Amino acid sequence: MELDELKYQLNQKLATDHASRTDADIAALLKKKTSSVIGKLKRSLVVEMVLCVLFSIAMLYVCFVSDYWSIRLYFGVFAVLMFLFTFILYYLYKRTQKLTSSHQPVKANLQSAVSLLEEFVKRYFQFTMAMLPVCFVFSLILSSMEPISVPEVDKFVLHYFSARWQVLTFLGVYMIVLAVTLYYFTKWYLKKLYGNYLTELKKCIEELG
Amino acid sequence: MPAEKEFIALLNEHQRIIHKVCNLYMDAHADREDLFQEITLQAWKAYAGFRGDAKFSTWLYRVALNTAITFFRKEKRKPDIYSTESVPDFGTSETYDPIEEQVKAMYTAIGDLSKIDKAIVMLYLEDYNYNDIGDMMGITANNVAVKMNRIKTKLKESTQKYMTPA
Repeated sequence: MELDELKYQLNQKLATDHASRTDADIAALLKKKTSSVIGKLKRSLVVEMVLCVLFSIAMLYVCFVSDYWSIRLYFGVFAVLMFLFTFILYYLYKRTQKLTSSHQPVKANLQSAVSLLEEFVKRYFQFTMAMLPVCFVFSLILSSMEPISVPEVDKFVLHYFSARWQVLTFLGVYMIVLAVTLYYFTKWYLKKLYGNYLTELKKCIEELG
Repeated sequence: MPAEKEFIALLNEHQRIIHKVCNLYMDAHADREDLFQEITLQAWKAYAGFRGDAKFSTWLYRVALNTAITFFRKEKRKPDIYSTESVPDFGTSETYDPIEEQVKAMYTAIGDLSKIDKAIVMLYLEDYNYNDIGDMMGITANNVAVKMNRIKTKLKESTQKYMTPA
């Protein structure tokens, strides 16, 4: 039996309603939260923008009240970086808004969703990775230029190391291990969040040719 | 709000479209409910951009298909393909009805298609021509024709597989 011969019956069966909605039911649905990936991404972008602004303010505060110029510089640079990242998040937020408010043909819609998610993943990864060298280099330069003595740290260093080169080697190894771990962790985490979804969307685009 | 009232009235009038998409894309009842909610929300969000240059039904199809195709469930609640939940009620006639059996088998076969093929079949069943289907899917009419031929062959084979001997 061909599809065309069963068109009428299939249409009837497909339209079978398991719970017909009244106007009031539909009105109630309009007040619910979206559970789509793009919708969740939009909400997460809002939360991240708010957190970025709050952290920028907190860092600026430390930058202005600290007695040590090294700490002021360190937190000042981070406040600026956070502030810049907020603009990237805002740009991505505008793109999600555009995507959810207009419905293009299926293929174009899929391409926009993939491009948006890839951009988000790329920027997030870039920002996390860029923080590492900035953080390491700044902390090393600033602590050597304006050493602040912390008794617990001094005690630890004296107990385990006898020469300055040993301390520097330990710090170097520690930073490399941390950087490599963070690199793979971020990659894994982003893939876990959006990897499968992106693969599924790309498969659909490929199928459309 | 007049826009909200207008939207609700239009959606209520055309809710059959959303039910069709939900029935086709989701097996479990709970998933169908979730998808219905998501399509309604997405349509409402995009409604401000609906200028009326296309029919509301065509526009709703586009929103519904876009939402269904990009809808992602981490844990699939997939009932057995022959369960009463995945296939709508086909009646419980005691006598063997070959047409009913074929419709049931065809319905199950459509359920096995990919998300994209399901969308094309759905629009085809609604009697949209290849140009209109192409416009909605974002591909050429020729591409739709090629895909449709392939889908029909696939469905014919799968239907045979799902047919239970009388």
